[in-house]
Parts: sequence; C-alpha cells; structure tokens
Amino acid sequence: MQITPNMKMAAVIHLNYHLLPLISRFGIMLGFGDKTIEQVCKAHNLDVDFFLEILNSYHDKNYFPQKHLQGFPLKLIIDYLRKSHEYYLQVKLPRIEELIQQLSALSNEAGQRSLKLIDKFFSEYKHELSEHIRHEEDNVYPYVFSVEEAYRTRHATAELVGRIRDYSIEDYESEHDNVEDELYDLKNIIIKYLPQPVNTDLCHTILIELFRLEADLKDHARIEDKVLIPKVRFMEKWIIDRPGN
Amino acid sequence: MTDMDSIHVIVADMSQLVRLGLVSLLHQTRYRITIREIGTPEKLGQVISKDQAKLLIISRSFLNSCTNLLTASIKSRFRADSRILILDADQSLHPEIDFTEIIERTENEKIMLKKLEKRLHALSENGAENTPPDDISDRERDVLRLVAQGFTNKEIADRLFISSHTVITHRKNITAKLGIKTIAGLTMYALINRLIIPEETKQ
Repeated sequence: MQITPNMKMAAVIHLNYHLLPLISRFGIMLGFGDKTIEQVCKAHNLDVDFFLEILNSYHDKNYFPQKHLQGFPLKLIIDYLRKSHEYYLQVKLPRIEELIQQLSALSNEAGQRSLKLIDKFFSEYKHELSEHIRHEEDNVYPYVFSVEEAYRTRHATAELVGRIRDYSIEDYESEHDNVEDELYDLKNIIIKYLPQPVNTDLCHTILIELFRLEADLKDHARIEDKVLIPKVRFMEKWIIDRPGN
Repeated sequence: MTDMDSIHVIVADMSQLVRLGLVSLLHQTRYRITIREIGTPEKLGQVISKDQAKLLIISRSFLNSCTNLLTASIKSRFRADSRILILDADQSLHPEIDFTEIIERTENEKIMLKKLEKRLHALSENGAENTPPDDISDRERDVLRLVAQGFTNKEIADRLFISSHTVITHRKNITAKLGIKTIAGLTMYALINRLIIPEETKQ
C-alpha cells in the first residue's frame, strides 16, 4: 500500500512502525494527533513530495521511483543522507554497543569471553563506518556541491575540471561492500556460532537491532547509488564534455 | 545412556544425604547433566571401567575406603583433564591423585556452585573442541587459522606449500561453509572457536 499525502501520519505508523526512525530523521516527533502527512510536512517546513518518496521507498522495497528521486535538488538528498548518518552515529551504533555490553555483563565467564570478541568486532565496525561517513561528509559532499554549482552557473574552474578527471563520484562508493559484509558476518556469527547466552531475549534484541541497521544502511546505500551518484555523474559528464574543457 | 549434549557425572559418597546435596547442586548448574550415584567402593569398582562419566565427584572419606587397586584405576581413569573433584580433600593423604579442584562441605552454596560450573564448563568445551566445527576440512582449518592471523594468500601458500590458487579455493569453500565473508569475521570465528588465541592476531 502506497503512502499518500492525505493519509494520517498516525495511520502511517500503524501501517509500518519501522518508519519511526525515518520520521524522526526528518525532525518529526510523535504526538501529531490527526494531522495528515501534508499538514505535518507543512508544520515542519518539509518538502512533502520528497518526504513521501523517501517514506515509500523505505516502506516498500519494490517502490523506487529512481527518476523522480533524481529530480530533487541535491541539497534535499544530501540533507537526508546526513540526517541518517547522524542517526547511525548518535543513536543506532551506541545503542547496539550498549546492548552487547549489557549482555556481556549478564553472562557467565564463557559467555563473556565470546561477547568480548563480539564487542571488539562491533567497535571496530563502528569505527570503520564512522570513518566512511566522515569521508563522505568532509570530502564527497563538498565536492558534489561544487559540481552542482558549476553545472548551475555553467562555469567550472580549471581546478574542478581537473578534480573531476582524476576523481569521479563513482570512485567513492567502492568501500561500501566491506561495511555491509562485516555486518552480515556479525549477524551470522551470533546466529550460528555464539555459545548460547544466558539471556536469550537480550541476544534476540541485539540481532533484531542488527537486522534493522542493515536494512536501514541498505536503503541509505540505494539512495546514494541510484540517486546521488547518477545525478552527479550526469553533471560531471556535462562539465567535462563542454568545449574547451 | 546419555545423549550428546549432556555431561555424565558420577557422585560417590557413602552418605546418601551428601549425595543428595551434590545432586541437587549439579542440577542447579546451567549444564544438562546425567548422574550416577554410588554409595560403596565395591560398587564403584564394578562400574568404573564401564561407565562413560566425564566427571567424578568423590569424597575424601570414600577415597580412604578404596583399595589401592581401585585408587589406581580412579587415577588412571579420571586424572587427565581434571575430571575429578574431591569433597573435603586432604591432599597429603592422596598425593598420587592429581586433583586440581577441591570442594569443601563447609563452603557456602554459591562457591560450591561456582566450582562445579567451572569444571563442567571446561568439560563441555573440551567436548566441543574435539569435533571439527561445521565440517570444514583439516586443510581448510589450517588456511582459516592463517587467514585469521592476518596472513596474505601468498604467505599462506608459502607456509602450507600449496599454490595461491589453492589457497583461494580453500578460502571460497570456508566462506561458503561458514557463511562468513570478511577477514574480520573469520578472525572472530576462529577466536570464538579457539582455533587461534588473541595473541596470534596481527592487530
């Protein structure tokens, strides 16, 4: 079922509670009463159209209006990507880390030994993901904005043209794979090989959190790979192909 | 008599009250246990060679009543890997028995339980170590150990006297069998299953 602008915000949450972290990423808090999506967006000064497309593509894996998404201004897209970065770094990763440590504290000696390894693995994973995010925010996004600026003003500096030639937008997503694979491995090790912890429920909570994080990251990567990159690539190509460059 | 996952224990003491106490403690641990209670040295003599027990809990007084022959077979059967726990042991009386852990009946329940758990834990892990996890072959396990220690394909090939191509094939099979793709993941797997120790990893 596709989400439409006149649907009640509350009904959307009843429809799919996995959308909760997404709406908070857009700055929308609970307590929206009977307001529709359109009204909530207006109150928060959000682009309804963009919000809906993100909501729908997150809600239904088969719904991905690639062309339409590519039509949105880069600033909207990057704002959204930044907001999800913030969510991973400030909320999701610390939460999972805390849960692993909680489980370790409740375990016996044997359990603690394995959970210490899990904890270490996760903190290295967290570090890697943070570095990846920092690279995007410090290098990639500023670059993307300068490409957009050059495209908009029809004027590219020689320096930018040079940069485009030796560093295209496609180069930067190469490291996604490893981050995804490590998360997959972590899940599999907990599912298949971890000596069974005393607190099963807490262990399941950790797994569910990891599944949610994975789904969220996949969705995030899809926006980058299918929306951001093609959009930037198109502008890069236009700049490079201009006579005189 | 026993299923695969449970640990079989012999509890040997003349006093039924003491045996009951030990049995009740054993059932409070988080391990699945089957128990054979034995009240006389004669009975122990009859079953000692046949019983598949992984652990013997025996009291000092019981040991004192055993013949030299029986003491010798207790020693040969349970000495290895600390498969014996002595209740109220006086080591000077039994220097020939190599026991590493002693329970005192004056100790409180918590401490006794802890000692039992510790011993049962060691036994259950020894059991797990003897079976190769997840059907990876010995050769694959060699490769896995080296991958987990941070060696490159080339280095692994040199150490095992095989080609890099063969190393890559082994690695593909390991990943397919275990469902683990990354080096960090394989390292964690190897550490959890004690295929390597933390000091062997490169970082």
